[in-house]
Amino acid sequence: MRRRSVVKAALAGATVLAAPAYLRAQSSKKLSILTWNIADQQELFKQEFADFKAANPGVEIEWLDKKGPDLPAFYQTQIVAGTPPDIVDLQGAIWVDYAANGGLVDLTPYLQKEPDVAKRFNADYLKGWVYQGKTYLLPFYVAKTLLYYNKTMFQEAGLAGPPQSFDELLGFSEKMAKAEKTGFLTLNFDWLYWPLFKMNGIELLSPDGKKAAFNTPQTADVLAKLAKATASGGVNKISWTGRWVEPNGAFAAGTVGMLHAHSSSYFFVKGQGPWINGQTLGAAQLPGYWSTPTNHGFAISKGSKNPDLAWKFITHVTSDKWASAFFKNRSVLTANLAADNAGLAEMEKTDPLAAAVLRTQIEHTDKLTGNWPLPYDAELKDAFWPEIQNAALGRKEPQKALADAERTVNRLLARKA
Amino acid sequence: MLRPRTRQALLLWCFLAPSLAIFLLYRVIPVIWNLVLSFQYWSPLKAAEFAGWDHYEDLWFDDVFWQALWNTLIVIASAPIGIALALGLALLVNADIRGRNVYRTIIFLSYPLMTVAVAIIWRWMFDERVGLINYAARTFDLVDKPIPFLNSFTWALPSVIVANIWQMLGFYMIILLAGLQNVPRELHEAAAIDGAGAWHRFTRITLPLIRPSLFLAFVVGMLNSITSFDLVYVMTGGGPGRATEILVTYIYKLGFVQTKFDDAAAVTIVFFVLLISIAWAANRFTGGNAGAVETE
Amino acid sequence: MGRYPRWPIHFALIGAGIVMLVPFYWVLKTSVSGENIYAYPPSIVPRHIHPFFYIDVWYSIPFARYFLNSVAVSMIAVVCNVAFNALAGYALTHGFRGKNAVMLLFLSCMMVPFQATIIPAYLITGKLGLLDSWLGLALPQCSTIICIFVFKSSFDAVPRSLIDAARIDGLPEWRIIWHIMLPLSRSAIATNVILAFIWSWNNFLWPLIMTRSADMQTLPLGLARFLSYQEDTTGALYAFCIMVLAPGLVLFLMAQREFIQGLTSGATKG
Repeated sequence: MRRRSVVKAALAGATVLAAPAYLRAQSSKKLSILTWNIADQQELFKQEFADFKAANPGVEIEWLDKKGPDLPAFYQTQIVAGTPPDIVDLQGAIWVDYAANGGLVDLTPYLQKEPDVAKRFNADYLKGWVYQGKTYLLPFYVAKTLLYYNKTMFQEAGLAGPPQSFDELLGFSEKMAKAEKTGFLTLNFDWLYWPLFKMNGIELLSPDGKKAAFNTPQTADVLAKLAKATASGGVNKISWTGRWVEPNGAFAAGTVGMLHAHSSSYFFVKGQGPWINGQTLGAAQLPGYWSTPTNHGFAISKGSKNPDLAWKFITHVTSDKWASAFFKNRSVLTANLAADNAGLAEMEKTDPLAAAVLRTQIEHTDKLTGNWPLPYDAELKDAFWPEIQNAALGRKEPQKALADAERTVNRLLARKA
Repeated sequence: MLRPRTRQALLLWCFLAPSLAIFLLYRVIPVIWNLVLSFQYWSPLKAAEFAGWDHYEDLWFDDVFWQALWNTLIVIASAPIGIALALGLALLVNADIRGRNVYRTIIFLSYPLMTVAVAIIWRWMFDERVGLINYAARTFDLVDKPIPFLNSFTWALPSVIVANIWQMLGFYMIILLAGLQNVPRELHEAAAIDGAGAWHRFTRITLPLIRPSLFLAFVVGMLNSITSFDLVYVMTGGGPGRATEILVTYIYKLGFVQTKFDDAAAVTIVFFVLLISIAWAANRFTGGNAGAVETE
Repeated sequence: MGRYPRWPIHFALIGAGIVMLVPFYWVLKTSVSGENIYAYPPSIVPRHIHPFFYIDVWYSIPFARYFLNSVAVSMIAVVCNVAFNALAGYALTHGFRGKNAVMLLFLSCMMVPFQATIIPAYLITGKLGLLDSWLGLALPQCSTIICIFVFKSSFDAVPRSLIDAARIDGLPEWRIIWHIMLPLSRSAIATNVILAFIWSWNNFLWPLIMTRSADMQTLPLGLARFLSYQEDTTGALYAFCIMVLAPGLVLFLMAQREFIQGLTSGATKG
């Protein structure tokens, strides 16, 4: 028995050595990386890959990029087939589902071995990738909500600056609303509207995450105020029914006083609205400084055959050098402190308005909300949001809408327990 | 040596074999996969456990499912509108007039266009602020305020249906045209000589002879809720609220957005049973045998 | 021929034509002028026409390669469709044991939305070793039930006397199909070719899921490149859509002679 295995090992060793060099190189490490809708960064990635391959000879990199709605379909089919990409760029809360089901590699041991890696990131953003005490992703780029305001409309209504409280926000909206003009618009996907509630001290779930905690008189009051403002035109109806193009387009048309959206909206709105410049557009924090982040991070799939190499790759891509390059190309925050600070300093000189917008992204990162590390985030959204819509659009009384939402949410939580 | 009857039967099965093989692989097996999955708890990263009727029970209490089901039924019920329009167009285009090639091409043009392009353009056309339809309505003083088509809980689904009919008209038309080729011109001429009016000729000669095509068009029309997946997804995403959520988009969201493939499988099976029932009813209504006509 | 006024027909068809063309016109207009469709009021006549978006499309994605892939896949799909569907449709014109079961099976196969079959279809294709290949891309669409029924109803309309005469002459089945049935079912063939082509040409979800290497992707997958919301590329997006539309349209133009009900086809059937 032993002799046979020795012979087998010897034969295997001989074949490997006998194989020509190029075949040996082909059989060595290969990394596949799946990104979320950044095909426009092709040049940058080619450079990053070349740089990585120079430092790690014999590595092949396969790059796949899919549009947001298509990525989960593609990724999950690959998981079922047993060939998931080693590295995957994920947005929002879908990672929690994968992590909870054991689909992602726990990065905590790697971070402990290399403490410098964690130090390069904004701690609050890094914390967003923790589930049950373990870190599963490294930040790639981040965006959180801020308040854009139309300075021209503010001046016309006799308003000095951005609102400092919820009531002021609604009050300003009323003042600016006339004919087709409305005062306030918010994006609503991925919990982006949540800071409006959080700033009023409302919690979604109990601390242990097992029961709904939002059905309070305070919430009903907030909803009633929002419904009233929506009916009178202070709050634009599209806040509750729009997706991406409509709300941003409405603000870009110059008929909305305030837009509550994340930093990615800036470039879209600027492209659509020729009136936008430093004098006409202001960027501020929402009253109370609360914001919802929409972040991208790199994770390593459990089915990866080269997790160590994958780790090296994601630390390479999020390094100061390449994060800075990414910041410059895409004008988006990377959560890498050195890259962001340097990038912002540069931007102040070239595009002060964009810099003002992006500066809000590194301020008050201790007040991030709307991100609950729950594997069933999508279902929770679907249970909660339709009732908010109903109440805000005046289709249901706030108390009834909240009671219905509480029932659906609790039923969902009970099933997951 | 095989008997001639058996040999012929064998030959016929051989003719059916390639198509059957493809359907077996890509339709039958997936349906069985869905059926089995609907009775299990499973996710791509976990092993399967038996779930009994749990998923179907969940569906029973799921408001979204009922809303999606209702919307799907509305979409299916709108199919005859499109088919009737297409039949009218097919008859007109089949008539002996000059330039019918041009007309035929123009009507068909919308079908090969990628659904995403159709969805984006119609989303713009229905837009409350800048859309063409509201612009035209206001220019011709038809309304005082712009109509929020895609933002309204009542107008959203009809708007999607209109876009769907626009896209499918050309498709229904060529199915019906192919059927109209089977109506011999001499029958019409003979009837005309005998003094039969146009409507009489249509109902007594044309209609019965194109029954197979009508049945086919209806079945396709019934499936339009499946084919309008991209349309709904891009135009409204299922919203506002769940006003345009149909079973197909719900299946996709359950499976790929919420990673609940087992629940998606249950909805798939319910949808499948629903469609089969409607198709069976339609088959009986048109006289059985997929509406085939007895020749001679 | 019958004498009846033609102008109402023209009137109705022109009306229908306008309704069908309006959205299409906007797609075309945006593709040559790049005007933001969200600008208000909408402009009917485009300003600054230029073909640069089409050039943009050619260079933004590996257009030639994607085009080649799409052509290969669609050709496989169309040839297989015509062959398999005609055979199956012919078989269904005969009575045989199990015919109703087969018809029921075919009908029920249509009732499955593709979205629900993605994962098993992927696994099966994987087992067949056809991932990332032209045949694998084409295979699920190599036969379609609608077209089988189109052939069936076309074959049903062929007079029995012709077939019986051929049988008495001792012609084997495949000759009957080739020499008698198919020539009389040209519109069915044309329908089949057009539909099979369009379905496989425009198919988006299946190539998305089952191709990994960049050089096996088909044309619709290039769409993602133009839908990035950060860039205002609607001009290029529409140019892309027009370019994808063109081959299907050309095919329809070539095949639509078959939809003319002329005296000739009537005579042979009579």
